[in-house]
Amino acid sequence: MINNSFRLRQVWMIARLQLRRVFFARRSLWVYLLAFFPAIIFIGHGIEVKIKRERWGGHAVTTPAKLDSVREGDTEEEVIAKAGTPITDQRFRRRDEEEPERRYMRYYDGTRQVNLWFRSGLLVQKSTSNLIDFEEDRQVYAGVFQYFYLRLAIFFGCLGIFMNLFRGEMMDKTLHFWMLTPVRREVLLAGKYLAGLIAAVVIFTGGALFCFAAMLWPQETAEVQAFWRDGGASHAFWYAAAAALASLGYGSVFLAAGLLVRNPIIPAAVLLLWEGINGFLPAVLQKLSVLYYVQSLCPVPAPMDSDTPALARMLLAPAEPAPAATAVLGLLAVTALVLWFASRAVTRLEINYSTD
Amino acid sequence: MITPEIRLDEVSKFYGEVLGVNRVTLRIPPGITSLVGPNGSGKTTLMNLITGLVHPDRGTIEVRGISPRNPEQLMRFTGYATQYDAAPRGATGYEFVSAGLLLYGYSSEEARRMAWKALERVSLTDAANRKVAAYSKGMRQRVRLAQAIAHDPEVLVLDEPLNGLDPLVRAETIALFREFANRGRHVVLSSHVLQEVDVISDQVILIANGMIIAEGQIRGVRDEMHEHPSQFLIRCRDASRIASILFEMDHVTEIKLHEDRLGMLVWTRSRQEFSRALTRIAGNGSPIDSVMAADENVDALYEYLIGGGR
Ligand SMILES: Nc1ncnc2c1ncn2[C@@H]1O[C@H](COP(=O)(O)OP(=O)(O)OP(=O)(O)O)[C@@H](O)[C@H]1O
Ligand SMILES: [Mg+2]
Repeated sequence: MINNSFRLRQVWMIARLQLRRVFFARRSLWVYLLAFFPAIIFIGHGIEVKIKRERWGGHAVTTPAKLDSVREGDTEEEVIAKAGTPITDQRFRRRDEEEPERRYMRYYDGTRQVNLWFRSGLLVQKSTSNLIDFEEDRQVYAGVFQYFYLRLAIFFGCLGIFMNLFRGEMMDKTLHFWMLTPVRREVLLAGKYLAGLIAAVVIFTGGALFCFAAMLWPQETAEVQAFWRDGGASHAFWYAAAAALASLGYGSVFLAAGLLVRNPIIPAAVLLLWEGINGFLPAVLQKLSVLYYVQSLCPVPAPMDSDTPALARMLLAPAEPAPAATAVLGLLAVTALVLWFASRAVTRLEINYSTD
Repeated sequence: MITPEIRLDEVSKFYGEVLGVNRVTLRIPPGITSLVGPNGSGKTTLMNLITGLVHPDRGTIEVRGISPRNPEQLMRFTGYATQYDAAPRGATGYEFVSAGLLLYGYSSEEARRMAWKALERVSLTDAANRKVAAYSKGMRQRVRLAQAIAHDPEVLVLDEPLNGLDPLVRAETIALFREFANRGRHVVLSSHVLQEVDVISDQVILIANGMIIAEGQIRGVRDEMHEHPSQFLIRCRDASRIASILFEMDHVTEIKLHEDRLGMLVWTRSRQEFSRALTRIAGNGSPIDSVMAADENVDALYEYLIGGGR
């Protein structure tokens, strides 16, 4: 009757019973907010682009060739003769000074906007910018993913989800129900971990991929098509994989922490510090990290401005990235090690409700 | 052949500095066994140790040959209704009782049937589809009992199971314990009121300050109680005369007259002879206004047992 396949079924039954609590706990509302917050920003950006494109596209779109023929030094009349009516046209003069009148015109060629500044009727400055820059937005996404998702959202989200699996039930005084069922403690641990993992993966890979889609949404169709042809799917895959593996790794750490300590602040602080100084640690200890491996999996390196302070640069920059296979195996090894510790702790776990 | 016995050998449990139980050695045979002791004496600790919710710092425990460190086997034949008054959030009585049954390997159809049967046995079928959180105290007590008996355990551990039950339900619940015991099963329950459980138990274990101070079949414990002088408070008009009559009797060991001469405190070794004497006195025309047992609680017994008698 009791054999390993029955134990596996028990794991799954526990996970199923637990899942509802994890997904619908009032405690985990902020986890959803964390996971989907960046998507809101990208969607906002997308809506702005779409609106501009709609409004400017309605006007006469000037061909790129005509706009290229406009030169600094041209008169207002020459510009209008070459490029036609601008989509924006503003004149202004500062009252206090006896300055000549200035004028600003904007043209739009369907993808680029061209800004023209005139003084005394002559074109003095011409600048061109894309209405939306795919390359730049992908960089921004890479930054959001590595700094926001990996270091913040998934980190604290897993803290919320996994630490509560045991500690939350200890506080609710319901943990003993699990401990009074005919299951090995390791099976209970595995079931709860599985429930947390399913929730974290759904919420965070879901959030990260949704955000990725929100980033792609306003981009030029041709560029997006080229992106998919040119390995875009593998980018999306590795972001999803990195989010899932981060949940796997952080999840195991916070599951173990929830068995060992009562106060969630302490393991969070210790782990943040540990991951933070990871770059300074000896090579052996660097391998005992979640962030190190998942950062190695990110398809686009996180952007880093040249004016980033040196210290921040050292803290944020990943150590020499590991090859993908090594990173995945390394992460699995770290997770297995942490879960092994957790399974030791769970067999010693005692009901201790009174001192909360 | 496994020993159908719960054995504790030199079991100690400390919560940091605080003593839970100290060097407890017990053999609990099948039948109804009551753990009796005042608040904080270690009843819950002992039950948590037997069911593996806490582990001993020293000593060993076996429940019918199985260590409580092995819940996979232990909980197959053990049910425990705890003192903790919490149910999973939002669960109905039925969900609460049935959820765990799947983990025993029962099909959902079997689990459904067993859960309803258990709910029926504690007369809770009407409320089964309401949320446990909205239950009254007595109903929560009963739903915990239903959950503990749902898988038909051989060993039933119940922490203060009679608390908050009305007389009718209490009688039904006691009948249920009796039925379990009659089938050769263990029913271990706790109470802080000796009178509440002495008549229903095959064995009573008295516990105080984490130590077993008396154990045995209830007759044994009662006998000890009989030898221990009981105190009665008598109010009457002619106290001095009644006191002199009572003092002549063998079973009366001490009398203290009240200053107002309208009452006295009497120590007697035999409640029965004492009450017969009082009937005689009253029958002879000496009015007695009231008689009250001054130690009609278990504390006096503890005091006697712990302190070696007065
Ligand atoms: N989790 C805990 N942490 C610290 N001390 C505890 C804990 N649980 C019990 N104790 C202490 O152990 C002793 C025994 O407590 P226990 O709960 O076993 O008594 P009890 O007989 O069940 O009392 P009650 O009748 O109030 O239920 C008490 O002194 C109590 O304060
Ligand atoms: Mg108790």
